[in-house]
Amino acid sequence: MSSFIKTLSQELFTVGKSGTRGDRIYFRVVELFLLAYAVWYCWTWGMYMQENITSVLLPLGIAQYIDVSFMFENYFGPANAILVGVLGLLGFSRLWRPGYLFALFAFHLQYVARYSLGEISHGSNLIGMGILGLGIALLAFRSETNRQRFTFGFLYFFIGLGYTSAAVCKLIGTGITWPDGHHLLMWIAERKIDTLSKFGAFEPSILQELVLADYRFGTLFLLIGLLTEAVSFGMWWRRYRYLVVMMVLGMHIGIYFTMNIFFHASTYFLLLLALPWNRMIDAALAAAEDVSIPLPSQPPSRGEPT
Amino acid sequence: MNVSQKSIRIVGGILVIYALLVATHLGEFWPFSIYPMFSQAGNPWSRSLVREMPSDVADARKVSWTTTSLDSLAGDSYPLVPQGINQNDVANYVSKTESWTPDRIQGLRSIFAKNRSLPSPLLVYRVRGRLADDSVSVRATPVLLLTNEGSHLNPSLAPPSPASASSAR
Repeated sequence: MSSFIKTLSQELFTVGKSGTRGDRIYFRVVELFLLAYAVWYCWTWGMYMQENITSVLLPLGIAQYIDVSFMFENYFGPANAILVGVLGLLGFSRLWRPGYLFALFAFHLQYVARYSLGEISHGSNLIGMGILGLGIALLAFRSETNRQRFTFGFLYFFIGLGYTSAAVCKLIGTGITWPDGHHLLMWIAERKIDTLSKFGAFEPSILQELVLADYRFGTLFLLIGLLTEAVSFGMWWRRYRYLVVMMVLGMHIGIYFTMNIFFHASTYFLLLLALPWNRMIDAALAAAEDVSIPLPSQPPSRGEPT
Repeated sequence: MNVSQKSIRIVGGILVIYALLVATHLGEFWPFSIYPMFSQAGNPWSRSLVREMPSDVADARKVSWTTTSLDSLAGDSYPLVPQGINQNDVANYVSKTESWTPDRIQGLRSIFAKNRSLPSPLLVYRVRGRLADDSVSVRATPVLLLTNEGSHLNPSLAPPSPASASSAR
């Protein structure tokens, strides 16, 4: 067990050459992405609460201990979104190291107030985990390189764990028959009602038409999805990391085409984690420097034929 | 202690907190979750549809409250996205409400008409789907008629009054 933990810690937190310009730019881009998404979520939830919600139907998280209905009036929701932005900026600018963790607390409050009507949305969980990782990194480490190492290792660990947990839940909740294509028929019909309700019309995608024509295509799609989720913990190992994250990304695109559900935040975030963007930035910067440095002009030497 | 050792210890600590919180909060304590979505496959589902009714249907007696197919819904389509309304919120109210108390009715009404009036009467349907052989059977039941004058519940869904409840006992 201890040798597994040692190996895992090396796979997650030990990287080769680090501290390059590409690493620094990439880390700040990921940080900005997480912060921008957190503020966007909180703002849209805050305005929605103000306009549409009056009561708590299903208390989640901290709402099980405090009454969050005060968030529905007097523009407390939008004000809390602004607070998340200010605290996040204090963290981003490194002016106040606990900024991200306090922003996460306000983000949690916003989530439990917004989703107090019964829906348990998972679209923002990865963004929340990202803010948590950043918050811990800022408090636990002084060097930016170590903060970066920790944040990415933390993210790959919990994202891999989360997707694998989803596969385990399916096997516990339904059993080995979960990938039966009839189940996808049911979900497509359900999503048809949701799409009709949202937009007034529903047009099946090519993948949905395939499943509606023959449920065995549904079995194939569900099996691919389940296997992808099950092996997601493979992103803990550097050798398989980008491949596994890319597979999960592909699964999200498949979910969009078969079930009309687009987890936009998760999909874009996985795209940021699915490729070695830091190395690509380094390569682009090196190429730009090669182009911008003019070659010294050499006068023809004596005796050289002209 | 080097960076890797310190990092894995912190991750281990967070993992323990994660496990404790989801174990004591039915699998959900945002941003922690066991991600149980779509884990129970094949079960009958219940969603919602909203229809825009002619203004003369403000009188609830003119509404047919019977269960019907999708092809026979009353009124016209009322897409929720252009109205800034979340479909899951409406569907959750409709599918998870067992007893339509005045608070529940007011909560659903506020999704459409908090601090504003309705453009026309709206009829909220509960839509249920279940697997029948190799296809899905879908049926819709009107639940609530919302007008600017008030909210009218399908008479068959009304909770028993205290008098009838006591007589039932």
